[in-house]
Amino acid sequence: MKTRSRAPVKKPKKEEGEEESTTTSTTLQPSETSPPRLFVLPRDATPEARIVTLPNPATSTPNRYYFCPEKGFYEFTKIAAPRRTPRSWLLAPRRNHKESLNRETGVTFQEEQELVKPLDAEAQSDSSDDTSLSNGYVAKDADLYIATPLDPLFLLLPILAPPSTSAKDEDHLLFVSMDDHLDACAASSAHVKQLLRHQKLRAMLQERMNHVCDAVDAGAENMYRLSKDKLLEELLVKARRLATNGLPASMEQKFVRAALEVPVMNIRREESTISAVSTDIAEDVPSQDTGSQAPSESTAESQQTADSAGGASSNATSFSLASTAAAETLSKASIAAPADVAELLQVRTAFNFIATSYLPPHLRRGLQQMLASTKEVDFTPLDAHLKHLDSLRSQAQALRSLSDNISRKRSAVEDEEAAEVRAEKKRKKEDEEKKKKTQSHGVRQLQKADTSGMKKLSAFFAKAPATKAAK
Amino acid sequence: MDNSHVALVSMMLKSESFSPFRCDRNIALGINLTSLTKVLRCAQNEDILTLKAEDAPDVVNLVFESSESDRLSEYDIKLMDIDQEHLGIPETEYAAVIKMPSAEFQRICRDLMALSESVAIECTKEGVKFACQGDIGSGSVTLRSHTNVDKPDLNVEIDLTEPVALTFSLKYLVNFCKASGLSGQVRLCLSNEVPLLVEYGLANNSYLRFYLAPKIGDEE
Repeated sequence: MKTRSRAPVKKPKKEEGEEESTTTSTTLQPSETSPPRLFVLPRDATPEARIVTLPNPATSTPNRYYFCPEKGFYEFTKIAAPRRTPRSWLLAPRRNHKESLNRETGVTFQEEQELVKPLDAEAQSDSSDDTSLSNGYVAKDADLYIATPLDPLFLLLPILAPPSTSAKDEDHLLFVSMDDHLDACAASSAHVKQLLRHQKLRAMLQERMNHVCDAVDAGAENMYRLSKDKLLEELLVKARRLATNGLPASMEQKFVRAALEVPVMNIRREESTISAVSTDIAEDVPSQDTGSQAPSESTAESQQTADSAGGASSNATSFSLASTAAAETLSKASIAAPADVAELLQVRTAFNFIATSYLPPHLRRGLQQMLASTKEVDFTPLDAHLKHLDSLRSQAQALRSLSDNISRKRSAVEDEEAAEVRAEKKRKKEDEEKKKKTQSHGVRQLQKADTSGMKKLSAFFAKAPATKAAK
Repeated sequence: MDNSHVALVSMMLKSESFSPFRCDRNIALGINLTSLTKVLRCAQNEDILTLKAEDAPDVVNLVFESSESDRLSEYDIKLMDIDQEHLGIPETEYAAVIKMPSAEFQRICRDLMALSESVAIECTKEGVKFACQGDIGSGSVTLRSHTNVDKPDLNVEIDLTEPVALTFSLKYLVNFCKASGLSGQVRLCLSNEVPLLVEYGLANNSYLRFYLAPKIGDEE
């Protein structure tokens, strides 16, 4: 929990303040090892709210979650500026509280909490004597961590379906009581143990468990066993909600629009090179932009808390705000898929996103297979359409390589040269034809005569004087 | 002269052939033969032709008057500059002079043309032998002096001072033979190492003469 450790913040702060007042010192302080971070937390969280370290359900690496006994779990979504456009936060006190700031710095800081909330109670309590932030602070990273609600169900899943269970005995999971489940939970993390003291959380977890488990009444208490069918149903509900609310723009672009894009089939001949290039761009942009660029410099990476950088850079988690508008306009026109197909694809994309982000790997595979064969949603029209598009794409590819060859042969420069040569030939031909027309048949015939060994007549007859008529 | 400069044609129309004839000074008119042919085709057989050219002409004027009707057609042919060398042809005593029917000469040329492109003409005391050697074989036609009292046109006269043997291109000879219609008799004049003269006599001492360079050497 070193979201903002006291010591490193305090010390450089003071010196920084000095620097600001005097502006004479030129030596820069070494950058802080753990600078303050900006969090946006739920407004009405109880004071008991904590940041806890829990294993990430998908990767089972420790991850930070925000827990409020009343509201449940929150995950942190990191919103960052692209690396190529450096940004920073300027944390400033409120102007109209300058006086009170002079009198009692703690008050202003408390008010500031609404915007810049310290992460743990410790920091909060100590903040009264921390004057550094109230004097203004420039944070190096323009990262913003937003706490977004997280279904506790996902945190339960690794316990309900331990990764050790092999595929064979998956169906023969034992029914286990709620308490035993929770004990297993507590064993995994010290923080969980503390959390489980909240009765409200227990009730919350039980309620969620009911949704995805087969339950049997064993006298005093209920026994639970994970039901994959129920889980699938639950996830599908989530996926549908996500799809109907609209997928994030970058996901929509990469996984729905790009997948449904109809390849350009009719390449206009006269500017074949240009159009071929432009279609290349159209196809490349969505895939590259969302595929490789977005993860590296996207404005946001979900599920990423302070010290687990890069923990969840899965391909689906990029909520890239980086505008894909250009690419969108390019491909928008060429999407001519039936509405239900697009809808199905959205649902499936949302499901895959949820699965890769929140499900343990062993569960993920099984559920994705189940999704393909589920009766809840019929994906056959989507699959058929995608297959059709695939064949179209390969056709377009073949066509393009063909037209590339053609265009290379008739490039602009060569065209000019060829035209010149052709014009020359034509002129020559015309000249010849003209000559032939003026020549008599006899002359033409005589041109073929073999005159080898025949001396020219001028060798026999001298040049005549002008008096030829006298002869 | 032809394009290869191995043959030459010369036609003399004496002033007696014209009525009236008027020429104030010597003047050379360069006329494109193809154009002249085109215009002459506009004439009819019995038309009276008048040729006219000004002193410093750029056209030659042809008038065709129909002798029967009052039809009068008039054509101008643009003249051309003839930069071709004007060769003076000396009157030569030939070693051999052969007079024969023009139809006969045409026939020989045509027949031998089927075998070869060139013909060897040998004149000896016995007669004149046209011989050729081709891919498919060889052939020869020999003529002896012959006098036909009834039809003097069919006479063959060979006037020989010394034996002559020369080779000529048949293609050219065949072309010369097209003038056969102008005259019943043709005169072939040969001398070793000298162009062959083929002369068709016309009325009023006029003549049409062809000259053809012999083939020397046997590189073919």
